[in-house]
Amino acid sequence: MGMGRTTWGWPAVGLALVPALFLGLVMLAPLWRLALEARAGASWQMVAELWRDDYLRWRVSWSFLQAGATCVAALVLALPVSWALARFHFPGRALVLRLLMLPFVVPTLVAAMGVLALWGPRGWISGWIGIDLQDTPWLLLYGNLFFNLCLVVRAGVEALGQVSAARVAAARTLGATPWRVFWRVEWPAIVPWLASALCLVFLYCLSGFGLALVLGGQRYATVEVEIYTLVAHELKLAQAGVLALCMALLTGLIALAYAWIEQRLAAPGRADAIALRPPAGPGAWCAVAGALLVLGFFCAAPLLAIGIRAATAGPDAWSHVFDEESLRAIWNTLRFTAMALLLATVLGVTHALAARRSIWLRAGAFLPFIVSPVTVAFGLLLMYPGWSASLSMLVAAYALLAYPFVAKSLGAALDVQPEHLTQAARTLGATPWRLFWRVTLPLAMPSLRRGMAFAAATALGEFAVTLFLSRPEWATLTTLIYERLGRPGAGNRDDALVLAAVLMLLSLLVFLLIEQPGSGRRDAAFGRAGAARA
Amino acid sequence: MLRKTFSIWATTVVASAALAATPVSAQELRVLVHNSFSLPKPMLAQFESESGIKLGIIKGGDAGEMLNKLILTRAQPIADVVFGIDNALVAKAEAANVLEAYTGAAATRASVVPLKGPIVAVDYGYVNLNYDKAWFAKSGLALPKSLDDLAQPAYRDLLVVQNPATSSPGYAFLLATVAGMGDAAAFDWWARMRANGVKVAKGWSEAYYTEFSRNGGSRPLVVSYASSPAAEVFYSKEKLTVPPTGNLFLKGGVMRQVEGVALVRGGQNREAAARFIEFMRSRPVQEALQTTMWMFAAEPGVARPDVLRHASEPVQFEDPASDLVASKGADWVSRWTRVVLK
Repeated sequence: MGMGRTTWGWPAVGLALVPALFLGLVMLAPLWRLALEARAGASWQMVAELWRDDYLRWRVSWSFLQAGATCVAALVLALPVSWALARFHFPGRALVLRLLMLPFVVPTLVAAMGVLALWGPRGWISGWIGIDLQDTPWLLLYGNLFFNLCLVVRAGVEALGQVSAARVAAARTLGATPWRVFWRVEWPAIVPWLASALCLVFLYCLSGFGLALVLGGQRYATVEVEIYTLVAHELKLAQAGVLALCMALLTGLIALAYAWIEQRLAAPGRADAIALRPPAGPGAWCAVAGALLVLGFFCAAPLLAIGIRAATAGPDAWSHVFDEESLRAIWNTLRFTAMALLLATVLGVTHALAARRSIWLRAGAFLPFIVSPVTVAFGLLLMYPGWSASLSMLVAAYALLAYPFVAKSLGAALDVQPEHLTQAARTLGATPWRLFWRVTLPLAMPSLRRGMAFAAATALGEFAVTLFLSRPEWATLTTLIYERLGRPGAGNRDDALVLAAVLMLLSLLVFLLIEQPGSGRRDAAFGRAGAARA
Repeated sequence: MLRKTFSIWATTVVASAALAATPVSAQELRVLVHNSFSLPKPMLAQFESESGIKLGIIKGGDAGEMLNKLILTRAQPIADVVFGIDNALVAKAEAANVLEAYTGAAATRASVVPLKGPIVAVDYGYVNLNYDKAWFAKSGLALPKSLDDLAQPAYRDLLVVQNPATSSPGYAFLLATVAGMGDAAAFDWWARMRANGVKVAKGWSEAYYTEFSRNGGSRPLVVSYASSPAAEVFYSKEKLTVPPTGNLFLKGGVMRQVEGVALVRGGQNREAAARFIEFMRSRPVQEALQTTMWMFAAEPGVARPDVLRHASEPVQFEDPASDLVASKGADWVSRWTRVVLK
């Protein structure tokens, strides 16, 4: 691709080996084992039957429809919001960017409680305007946006930060309106980034274990639920296998198509980021206010509702935070996140570096999203029964679900990395290792940090990991919250809300540590200096 | 500064986590339980210190999911003893040959409720409808007298149930309707309920905490347990003396659930497993589980905690034949999906 080298040296093979080995051991081998188990009952006839089943066809169509609708809505909303966040510097901007990731961390059921506190039959907003949104498709879309808007906005902000200042300035000098500059200069530069984020959003919505399902009820269930039911509750592995394979092929095609587009669109940019400026004039202030309003409406409001309900829960519920059980859960949450993050970073970095040369590896970064977690969980159980309740399996599962964020985020940054800097370094005799350490990595650092923050968010919110075997002494904040919500009573509900608030605070702290405010500006300054030298 | 803090934090956490992640000992008794298993920690610790047995509790999802995991790994069992297989699942477990008969004292002693098969009964409870007292008081609507009433226009959009394909109380409620009305009438009732706006949630928590009117939803009737009103009092904030919810025992809408503990075929550590089974039927455990798992004790003569006076026991209930459930259960679920969701 753009880097101009297509040969596979030993270092590249070595790099590719790390994620390939991991994916092979933790994902492909267990799936193969599960397929062997299911082989006896499966037949081509089942595929035909699947397609003839109206209900299943509706589920597949619905899965794709809601995922597509969410992508369109997320793009339309995220574009102006990320533009305002990427161009203007205002007090609290860095905090807003970190806060954006909180929806990712909140357990689905708690998020649903927050949304319903606003929009439900007795919600604050619905009580005020007199419209109850429960049981309408709008609430589903709102739920999907709550979780996914942040992904696209974060990608957009970062992409806009990579747009060449010189090109924008040149276009402006030649008399182009800001609108025209956006469409002719900025938009083409950010498309690969947005496509990457939207692809993730699409796959997330497709796997539909999310908020929309809780809010919409089972009538809106996606195919994923069908697979889950077949495997976990009916043990019809053959049928589940056929269905999972069909879905994997469909989504796999999307991932592959995306990888191809990404490779085609990727163009090395120049390292002259546009400097942030304070908003001047009413137009700029309106843009910032509008962006904050959109984020507030879709992302912050439900979180705020949870926060307020937790804050008013009373001293009894808050005193439980210091119980041995809660403290242990906090410690577990932190240590599992740290371990998963470490593994995910190693895997993500090696994957991103190796994927520069292979479209298959690029598409491979989506593998953990393509195959349903429940299928992987049962495969792992069959493949490694002795390890099934071991900590290493737990951490591997976390890392499997978290590392694509690192790989995708870093990959996008590597695609646009200016060639002249690496060429200059190589001409000056830098070894590949030194080149990576002193040029490639520092330039890609903001993207790596963003990817790591999302990976941490995945681990903190532990997406679907509860599907694996677990031990009570491993209880994390999320499992504790679900345990509380597994029993009736106002005390349990309040405990759960308070624990959710603690989880949010803890996560924010982790995000602030991973992505320190200010580091972005330092890197932008480095970029400018680099451009000046060039 | 922050960068340094971060690296120090990360290193400390990873290092201490690695230290904490010592492998489990070979002497451990592996106990597979469902997600609702809960006993006081000191009680488990006392068992460990008195018997010298290290307990490794493994949670395997809800009861149905847990049994499937056991069946899937029968060649190389993941546990030595299993708790939480109930009267609806026992035939499936027997058919898959994953359990082994236990013949110790607890197995020969009478229990308050019977449980067939190689399982020692530990506790029992009822799945039935709960109603929101405040909602019915405010609306002035009379409580339904039968399941048939619920299909009438007056009760439109009032009930939320769990999907029997993904939830054990949802499954139990479906079994109750089929056992109580016969399958033809039951599925006809479900079809009428669909027309009358029954809502389907994924699991108990979703139904209770997002759909039930007591917790901000719009449905004043929910499939739950007979013990739930008592738990509402026990976990109440302002120390209620009267439960805010009540039980509705309608014909064909109550299912008795009996769960127990059993040896896993091919498991190790038989002696320790036997001690654990006896422990589960011991008086302290039987007393404690009533307010930790919210089930009634299976051991005769065990004192009932005062708060459970709010958990009325129904006179009439369904207890479908386990072998029928094993052979027909999956069919009923797919038929239910066709009737209610498709």
